[in-house]
Amino acid sequence: MTQQMLTRRQMLKLLLASGSTAALAACGAATTTQTPTSPPANDEAETGAPAVVSEPGSTVNITYWGSFSGNLGEAEQAMVSSFNAAQSDVVVDYQFQGNYEETAQKFTAGLQANTIPDVILLSDVWWFSFYVAGMISQLDSLAQAEGVDFSDYEPALLNEGVRQGKHFWIPFARSTPLFYYNKEIWAEVGLPDRAPETWAEFEEWAPQLIEREGTTMRRAAYVHPNGASYIAWLFQPVVWQHGGQYSTDDFTMTMTDSDTLRAAQFFQDSARSNGWATLVPDINTDFIGGTAASMMASTGSLAGLTSNAPFDVGVGFLPKETNFGCCTGGAGLAIPSGAPAEKQQAAMKFIAFVTNVEQAGVWARNTGYMPVRISTKATPDMVNFFNENPNFKTAVDQLPLTQAQDAARVFVRNGDQIIGKGLERIIINGEDPSTVFTDVNAELTRVAEPILEDLREVEG
Amino acid sequence: MPSPRERHEWLLFVLLIGPNLALFAVFTYWPLIYNFYLSFVRWNFLRPTKPFVGLDNYANVFSSAQFWTIVTNTFVFAFFSVGLTLIIGLALALLINQPLRYRNTARAVLFSPVIMSGAVVAVVWSYIFDPRYGLIDQFLRPLGIASPNWLSDPAWAMPAVIIVYVWKNLGYAVVIYLAGLQGIPRELYEAARVDGAGPWARFWHVTLPGLSPIAFFLSVTSVLATFQAFDIIKVLTDGGPVISTTTLIYHLYTLGFVSYDAGQAGVVAVVLFMIMLVLTIIQIRYLEQRVNYG
Amino acid sequence: MTVRDETILARPVVTKANKGLLHVQRFFGYLAMALAIFLVGLPVYWTIIAAFKESAEIYRIPPTWVPLNPTFENFSRAWNAAPFGRYYINSFITTLGGTLAKVLLAVLSAYALAFLRFPRKDLVFLVLLAGLMIPPEITIVPNYLTVGRLGWINTYAGIIIPSAAVAYGTFLLRQAFLALPFEVIEAARVDGAGHVRILLSIVIPMSQPAIVTMALLALVARWNDFLWPLLVTHTSDMRTLPIGIFWLRNSEGVINWGVVMAGSLFLIVPVLLVFLWLQRYIVEGIAAGAVKG
Repeated sequence: MTQQMLTRRQMLKLLLASGSTAALAACGAATTTQTPTSPPANDEAETGAPAVVSEPGSTVNITYWGSFSGNLGEAEQAMVSSFNAAQSDVVVDYQFQGNYEETAQKFTAGLQANTIPDVILLSDVWWFSFYVAGMISQLDSLAQAEGVDFSDYEPALLNEGVRQGKHFWIPFARSTPLFYYNKEIWAEVGLPDRAPETWAEFEEWAPQLIEREGTTMRRAAYVHPNGASYIAWLFQPVVWQHGGQYSTDDFTMTMTDSDTLRAAQFFQDSARSNGWATLVPDINTDFIGGTAASMMASTGSLAGLTSNAPFDVGVGFLPKETNFGCCTGGAGLAIPSGAPAEKQQAAMKFIAFVTNVEQAGVWARNTGYMPVRISTKATPDMVNFFNENPNFKTAVDQLPLTQAQDAARVFVRNGDQIIGKGLERIIINGEDPSTVFTDVNAELTRVAEPILEDLREVEG
Repeated sequence: MPSPRERHEWLLFVLLIGPNLALFAVFTYWPLIYNFYLSFVRWNFLRPTKPFVGLDNYANVFSSAQFWTIVTNTFVFAFFSVGLTLIIGLALALLINQPLRYRNTARAVLFSPVIMSGAVVAVVWSYIFDPRYGLIDQFLRPLGIASPNWLSDPAWAMPAVIIVYVWKNLGYAVVIYLAGLQGIPRELYEAARVDGAGPWARFWHVTLPGLSPIAFFLSVTSVLATFQAFDIIKVLTDGGPVISTTTLIYHLYTLGFVSYDAGQAGVVAVVLFMIMLVLTIIQIRYLEQRVNYG
Repeated sequence: MTVRDETILARPVVTKANKGLLHVQRFFGYLAMALAIFLVGLPVYWTIIAAFKESAEIYRIPPTWVPLNPTFENFSRAWNAAPFGRYYINSFITTLGGTLAKVLLAVLSAYALAFLRFPRKDLVFLVLLAGLMIPPEITIVPNYLTVGRLGWINTYAGIIIPSAAVAYGTFLLRQAFLALPFEVIEAARVDGAGHVRILLSIVIPMSQPAIVTMALLALVARWNDFLWPLLVTHTSDMRTLPIGIFWLRNSEGVINWGVVMAGSLFLIVPVLLVFLWLQRYIVEGIAAGAVKG
């Protein structure tokens, strides 16, 4: 009955939430750096590593559960192989466990039956649940032992996984939203070859981008995903741009603040009274098919869109409203608690390796995820890659301007869907934003309550 | 007092059915009982403790404004899916159950969606439904009709899900009906013909009664299957737009595996089970009495 | 095949009066077949041709009805993306094991329910039917714990046994057994035939279409099952075919539909062949039943 859960839509969700795509490979020669067998000699993670598990002849075998399959899986496997080849203390076994949701489900079930991995990939909306339940380890002492230099990690990405000054979730496969436009349509209607600076500017452009046939819109200026394809992730930056937010850091829900409502009204008008946007389950297909001229989507879709679209794909920073706003997404690595110290240390060694300056670049170039290390951007391979893929450069340039999402979406279990379904009511049913968000606010508050209780227990 | 022969038969009965029931007890009923227990506690699948909360979960589920829409959706989906599958399936089976050329080809084609995974089917149909370049639009456009926005319009999403579900399961009903039709002893037709019965009389007095055990089986299992239909809804609409295609089983899934609220998911599991149990008992009471076991 | 159909199904007595009617009836039969083949077959055709299209063509508007540059590349790309050979072996083992267990349990249970006396048999029947009312979604977590306690995680037993119990097939076979001509069984009993002989020489041969149908449906369910095998296996060497298809979905930022559809055909074609082969037995079973009856 529930076979084959990963569908195109979920696939998309995965992409939107995470970003993926090995097809960046198709864009440039730089991807031949798939052979990172050279030992990471000048990486601080290796040089400073005390030999905790390196008694001669003893090899620690650890299991790594991840959500990467297909080309991403190959890239991940290559990374694991190069780790295994680069040192002899630890052998990592990478096992694909399904998409993010299924990986988290398996981890949950595994915790009950005591069949858990030593390293696990958890998405932005998952890691916090395991943290609150005390199921993932605090990594600072382990990282220190491996000589990990946290100051070189992109702070926007790293700090999300920090609670009370301690690191629990290390950024690995991270993405952000990006504004995509169809250069061919842009040229056809005579727009400048760039993303709109502001939403007001885009609203001026929109009428020219639309194409109608009777009552059917044959081409929309812009396309929204639905709740299941993570509209709440893409609405997050729009709320910030309007000066609002989903919630405050202490889990006070702010869905009914006037600026949040203003953003909701903007989304409603885009699809209804102003009529330049549509809402579909699969935005990438509409964009590639030319039935939508632009969209916000994950940086992770960049390579796939570039190689599949029969036109030139343009990208830009998200448009501003009152101010600029952009959020992060994707997945990071965690170490389950309860494992023997030796295994935990081995797991940290692996995490340090895959997020070192060189490997972060290999991974970003092979997959399209953001480089998680600051100094990676200056490496020659990366500079070459940027020159050949200016769109990817744009995506990376936007990264320092991003911030972590509001608690309502990532820390409240199902918060993403509660907000997403609310937006569907506003956009599809045309219901009054303040009525809908009053409901959403109440529901988020109710669901957040037990989480707060747990949090107080964990953090005091 | 049962006779020794009767007792021997009882023992044999237990031996034959025992292994099956034992497997059910462990892997099906135990989870149900466990869910019943969970419906009275608060648990997120991760906490070490499961505090008892009385009827709180029930109150939360039943007081939600969405819940009754979801129940309605469930019944609408089940009614139309089962009704259309059983009626169209019977008509097709009767028409095909003749000495026709390519009969087996037709049956194979009809059955092919049954063996395809629901997820693959739903993916293909999401293309077919697309209002701008889907297959349906290709056929409607020459007629000057604008394709509805099947999957994005709350009014059309449920019909779309029902169409796909019927499409996928129709062949199954046809094959089951055909197996039933072919199991009707031909002597009965001969006898009826000798008695001067026309085609209609033969249909009413031979075909339908002969088919009734299988039709009863189909109606019960189809109803139970639609109440648990999950993957097509998951892939095609994700329960949306808004909640227009959210059924109880989808709700259960969301509560369990998205919200990780074991208590509320347990409540929906219990509710779903009770609804199906009541429907099945009604069917057994009123339908099986009329079933003709030749 | 058609010849056999004719001999089995053609009504031997054809009077002039109903000959015309027969023609009308056949006309509608062909019409229904044509319509069914078109409505059901078109989306199936759509799935198949997508596997032979290049990825740009799949996104073309309007869509193409015949692949412009038919290619097998999707198939080789799909095959190389995951250890499909190993997945096939695992799928064969778990599907065959699971189906055999189900057929055996169903035949035995249905025989007991249909022909043996037992106090409150209707209740036993309802208890079994209740198995159909428990959605697999709710069994996942408790069963994982049970399987974990049994030490069956990442084993064939762990994949097969939790779903070996059979309510649906028992029900189908009970219905089929009950529909058998009672006199034949009674006559055999009078002749001194025991349960084993009645089951093997009368009930099973005469219910062959139902048993084959039941086996086929069980086989399809096992073959396509995804969530449970994914949950209960941890390593690539224990994984089954649907999980392999899953690998393909995640290949690029935009899904390569051709590859996914090609992979889906890996999954669909074997069961389709099994069905085409088995449907002969459904027909032959009827012939056998007709002779005996």
